Amino acid sequence: MRISTVPTSPADTTAQPRRRCVDVPHNAWYAAATSDEVGRAPLSRRMLGNRVVVYRTVAGDAVALEDRCAHRPVPLSSGRLEGDDIVAGYTGFRYAPDGRCVAVPTQANVPIGARVRAFPVHDDGSFVWVWTGDPNLARLRPPPQAPWLQDPEWVTFGDSWVTQAPLRLLLDNFSDITHVAHVRPEVAPPALVAGPMPPLEVTVSETGMSFARQYPPVPVPAWQAPMLGVPADEAYPQREEGEFLSPGLWVDRWHADTPEGRASFVFTHALTPVDETSTRHVWRVSRNFADSSAATGTLTPLMDGYYRAVREALEDMQRIVSEDGPRADVLVAADAAAVQVRRIMDRLVADETGTR
Amino acid sequence: MTSPTPTVVNEYEADVVVTAVTRPAEDVVEVTMAHPDGLALPGWTPGAHIDLVLDHDTVRQYSLCGSPADPSALKVAVLLAPDTRGGSKRVHELTPGATVRIRGPRNHFPLVSAPRYLFVAGGIGITPLLPMIEEADAAGADWHLHYGGRTRSSMAYLDRLEQYGDRVTVVPQDEAGLLDLATILGSPDDRTLVYCCGPEPLLQAVEERCASWPSGALHLERFSPKAVEREGADTAFELVLQRSGITTTVPEDKSVLQAMRDAGVSVLASCMEGTCGTCETEVVEGEIDHRDSVLDPDEQESGEVMMVCVSRCRGARLVLDA
Ligand code: FES
Repeated sequence: MRISTVPTSPADTTAQPRRRCVDVPHNAWYAAATSDEVGRAPLSRRMLGNRVVVYRTVAGDAVALEDRCAHRPVPLSSGRLEGDDIVAGYTGFRYAPDGRCVAVPTQANVPIGARVRAFPVHDDGSFVWVWTGDPNLARLRPPPQAPWLQDPEWVTFGDSWVTQAPLRLLLDNFSDITHVAHVRPEVAPPALVAGPMPPLEVTVSETGMSFARQYPPVPVPAWQAPMLGVPADEAYPQREEGEFLSPGLWVDRWHADTPEGRASFVFTHALTPVDETSTRHVWRVSRNFADSSAATGTLTPLMDGYYRAVREALEDMQRIVSEDGPRADVLVAADAAAVQVRRIMDRLVADETGTR
Repeated sequence: MTSPTPTVVNEYEADVVVTAVTRPAEDVVEVTMAHPDGLALPGWTPGAHIDLVLDHDTVRQYSLCGSPADPSALKVAVLLAPDTRGGSKRVHELTPGATVRIRGPRNHFPLVSAPRYLFVAGGIGITPLLPMIEEADAAGADWHLHYGGRTRSSMAYLDRLEQYGDRVTVVPQDEAGLLDLATILGSPDDRTLVYCCGPEPLLQAVEERCASWPSGALHLERFSPKAVEREGADTAFELVLQRSGITTTVPEDKSVLQAMRDAGVSVLASCMEGTCGTCETEVVEGEIDHRDSVLDPDEQESGEVMMVCVSRCRGARLVLDA
C-alpha cells in the first residue's frame, strides 16, 4: 500500500517576519538597488526590515528572494548562482527564482512546501524596484517612473549610501529645501537668499504631492553661470519644484530661464527604508545643459558635499530623537508640503494595517 | 492683518481627453479619460473619487471605477439623474475626443485592510466598490457583494462581476425585492468591514442596521449631504490658525473656511457642503459642531479633524493646525 507523503498542512517556511518599520507603507515599491548594481552575483540588501537577495537570471531578469535559507538561517547571498537558481552557501539548498526549493544535497526528494519568499520585482533600467508588502497587491500599484534617467538628453551623475535616519525624516527634509542656504551657502542658489520667499504652491492628489516656487529674476549660482555661458550678475527667472511620487521616490527640479532657453536640474532620490532608523538613499543629479565632463567635475563635489551635509544633519536629528525621545515639531506655513506628505504616508499606513 | 509666508495649496487639476464612452447599463455611461500628452495620471487607491469640472459652477464628484493598476486612464460611470443642476446630463453628452477638466483624485472611502468584507451596493453605487472588490479579491480576503438595483438592465457591470461567481448576490428589485439587510447585516462580526454606497435610503438603512456592529466597521460614501440637525442659531467664535501664527474671528454668518481664506490662509475645498472631504482640517483644540456627511460618528466624536466648509465650533475658541 502506498502512503501519501503529502502533509495536510506543510510547515510554512515563508512565515512573515514580525512586522518592522510600522510607520511606512509596505505595500509600495522601493528601490532595492540600481539596475547596474544587480547582475550575476547575489547582492544582499535589507529593506523594511526584510533580508533580500537580488540577482539576475541568465536571461537578465531581476529576481528578489528572502535572503535566508529555509533549512538553516544562513543568507542565500553567501552562496552562488547556478543557472537561474541560487544555491545557499552553508546548506547547499537550491532555490528557483520563484522561491521554490528545487534541490537539497542530502536526498533525492525536496521537502514538501520548502521555499523562501519571492518578492515582486520590477526593473526599469534605472532601479530594481522590489515590493515587500502583500505580493498579490503589487500588480495593482504601478511602480514610480523616472524616465529622464534613461534619456540621452540628460546627463546624470550621483552616488548612494545609507543614512542613519528613518524615511520620514528624509521626506520632511525634501519637502522643504529652504535649509540649503543654512546647510551649504556656497551651493545655495541666490534665489533662496535674495529676498522674501515667493509663494509656495502646493498641489496634492490622493497619493501624490508636488510643490513649486517661482522666483523673480535673480542671478544663477556663481558656479552655474559659466556652465550656462551667462554673466554671473545677470538676473533670470528661476523655478523650484519638488515632487513626492511615491514613498520611495522623490524628485526635485531647479529651472533657470535664460535667453538660451530653460536649463534644468532634476534631482532624483530613491529612498528605501533599511530598518526603523536607517534609509538607503540613492541620489542622482541630471541636467539638460553643459553636458561636458568638466561640468560634471565641477558639480560633483558641490552636490556630493551638500548631500553629505544633509545626511549629517538628518543623522544628528535621529540621534537626538533616539536619545531624548520624539516630540511634536512646531510647524510653519512653509511646512505645507511636509504636512501633505505626512498625511499621505499616515493614511497609506493606516489603510494597510487596518488601524484607521 | 499680518501676512504669513504665502502658501497656496491646491488639488491636482488637469484637462484630460475622453478616450472612450460606453454604456454599461440603461441610462449609465462609462467615460474613460487619459492625459492629452499620454502622461501618467495621479495614482489613487480603491474608493477614490474625482471632480469633473463641467463649468465654473457645475462641479460633480464621481467615484473612480477603473483599476489603479492602469496609471494611464481614469474611468467614471455616471447615471443620468433628474439632477436639477444638470451635471449628469452634461457627462452623458461627452464623446470621445472631448476635453474635460478633472480635479483630484481624493479618497474619503478608503479600503482598510481586513480579513473579511461585506460590500453593499445600490444601483450606480457599485462604482467605488468595483476597484475595492478587485483589491480585496487579489489580497485573498473573504468577501461578499450584495448588489441591489431596480431592474437587471439598469444594473451596471453585472458582466464584470460574473467572474466572482457566488461571492456576488445580484438583487434586481423587480425580480427579488429589496436587499434583505436584516439577514445581510444580521450577525455583527469584529473581523468584517462593511462598505456601502448607494442612494440615501439604502445608506440610512445600512447605518441603522450597523448600529450594533463594532464601531468603525461601517464605511459609507455619500455624494449628497445628509440632513443635519441644527442646535440654535450660529454664533461667532475665535479662530486660531496655529501653524500660520494667525488669530481671527469667525462671525456667525461665515464659515470657518471663509474666515481662513479671509485671513490669507489657503485651504483646499471642493463641494462646500460637507460631502467630499476635501477641506478636512486637523483640530488642535475646541469642541466641534460637526455638520458634514463624510466623517463617521466615531471620527466626529474623536474631534481630531473637521470639515471647515460646514462644521463650526460650539465653544468660544477653535484652534486648527493650519
Ligand atoms: S469642501 Fe467638501 S467637505 Fe468641505
